[in-house]
Amino acid sequence: MDKRVLYSGAGAVALLCVATAAMTAGYGTNLVCWIAIAVLTAASLRFVMLIGELNFATAAFVGLGAYGAGVATTVMDWPFLLCLLFGGMVAVVVGLVFGYVTLRTKGPYFLLIGFAFTEVVRLIYTKVHWLGGNSGMVGIFPPRYLDAWLPTFVVAVVGVLLLALYAIEKSHFGKTCIAIRDNDAVVQSVGINVHMTKVACLCVAAFAAGIAGGLSAYVNNVISPGDFGFLLSTFALAYLKVGGEDNPLGPVAGAVLLVLLASVAMGMGAGEHVFYGMAIVLSVLLMPKGITGLIQRGWEMRRKRSAA
Amino acid sequence: MQTLLQLILTGLQIGSVYMLFSLGLTLIFGVMKIVNFAHGQFFTLSAMLVAVLVPWLLMQGLPLSAAFGLAVLGGIAASVVLGMLLYQFAFRFFQRDLAGSFILSVGLVLLFEGAFLHYFGGAVRSVPPIIDGTVSIFGTAVTLQRLILCLVAFGFTFALYWVLTRTRLGKAMRAVAIDHEAAMLQGIPYKRIAFHAFAMATFLGAVAGAIMAPISTVTPTVGADYLVKGFIAVIIGGLGSVPGAIVGSLFIAFIESFGGYYVDPSSANMAIFVLVMLILLLRPKGLMGNG
Repeated sequence: MDKRVLYSGAGAVALLCVATAAMTAGYGTNLVCWIAIAVLTAASLRFVMLIGELNFATAAFVGLGAYGAGVATTVMDWPFLLCLLFGGMVAVVVGLVFGYVTLRTKGPYFLLIGFAFTEVVRLIYTKVHWLGGNSGMVGIFPPRYLDAWLPTFVVAVVGVLLLALYAIEKSHFGKTCIAIRDNDAVVQSVGINVHMTKVACLCVAAFAAGIAGGLSAYVNNVISPGDFGFLLSTFALAYLKVGGEDNPLGPVAGAVLLVLLASVAMGMGAGEHVFYGMAIVLSVLLMPKGITGLIQRGWEMRRKRSAA
Repeated sequence: MQTLLQLILTGLQIGSVYMLFSLGLTLIFGVMKIVNFAHGQFFTLSAMLVAVLVPWLLMQGLPLSAAFGLAVLGGIAASVVLGMLLYQFAFRFFQRDLAGSFILSVGLVLLFEGAFLHYFGGAVRSVPPIIDGTVSIFGTAVTLQRLILCLVAFGFTFALYWVLTRTRLGKAMRAVAIDHEAAMLQGIPYKRIAFHAFAMATFLGAVAGAIMAPISTVTPTVGADYLVKGFIAVIIGGLGSVPGAIVGSLFIAFIESFGGYYVDPSSANMAIFVLVMLILLLRPKGLMGNG
């Protein structure tokens, strides 16, 4: 069962890669990249939900990944893949320290600290001279040979990471995380180090967020502190909420739908804030389990009817 | 000495607004166990209405004090009505649901921020000074207006304290905050208490906005800055704790006023964050939180 999902997932990612390779460059390919990055960000947010915490520092980790990749590219002139990985690792290292300190708290405290952390990291970017200050960094280009294949590359990386996150979720480690969400005292009582498990979970999510940030730096070529405020976490939350957080496909469904709809809505002159705000409020009030939850319920009802 | 006194007074002035703001947050959390990000929107709406209505009422030929009084009443009333509507049609369904209520409130923040930008424009507004003159406290000059608004804020804080400790409603709120099921067994109508607490919290947020408008500038996104500070104050003090919110707010305000003078404002903001991390490391539930 587990293997079959992985194989079919890999097949779907391969198909998507072929489809993006056939696309001609333009607004469409950019949109594909943005959707893929949004999916990965939302998946990172969802991964921390396995331990039952809402990680609003996701935006900070995306930003660290973007700045890490940006510095490695423009200042240190490292090879492309190493830069991307470096961005992810920066996010992991900061996530390790941040998680070690803050994961002693839980629930509202962790949520609010993540929120404050995002704002402070953003402030630090504006203060640091060699990070470009308020205006940010420019000229983060992917290598020449990837120019035409960037959307394919982005989709492939995101796809592989999603499958990896899924595999981790279904592994022993993932099950420990879910057990912590349900009752951390029980997990502690069988001798598992709850605190370090939580920190590890956060680090995995931080890596995914960091890679998402690095990819976004290469896709947009420009990064600035304003891109990585808490609004980014809020948007990721909107994708997750509309898609449904119980299903690993939730972030995918939500991000695809909302980014597409938002690009249509913006074309008609509506404000981005109002659109995402509406999407969150309506989906929370009308379909608490998101789109994937609705589909699942519809499916189960049909099966019940055919059985009766 | 002169500078020290000046900085202390500035700290108290900023702190008084933070205090009213974070008291609303902590009250809602205590009674309903929800994290309400939309609290900043009540603050913004009331501040914005004051900033818009005062010049408009002056144009209608009203004297300054009447114009200000009417604008403040209008701003607070509009915020409280908005708060009641949001409770009735949204937050009511998410009591004691931390993630759900938080997500809902974040959606509302985006929605209202977009709406405020649309209706009020992005311009920075300010309110003309209402009360002229300065007073001298131990040789330090303070504008009378700031002093009076600061005193009003402290007055409301004491009023809340009195309500919570001396009245039936306040005692019921505290009982609900400690254990809502036990409170219901004692015959305390939880839903009505929650509604009162939410309305009271929006009222406090709206008063904070109306007080802030004349002493600072008003933009449609001003609530977000206060929201970050307000939540940090509440985390430092402990979620749900009223004295904690007061201590946390003053703590932040003093760091801001001293740090802003001796170093620079954004370093002061970072220092606040580092201190919060340290406090959480030592006391994961805040200085005065217990549950």
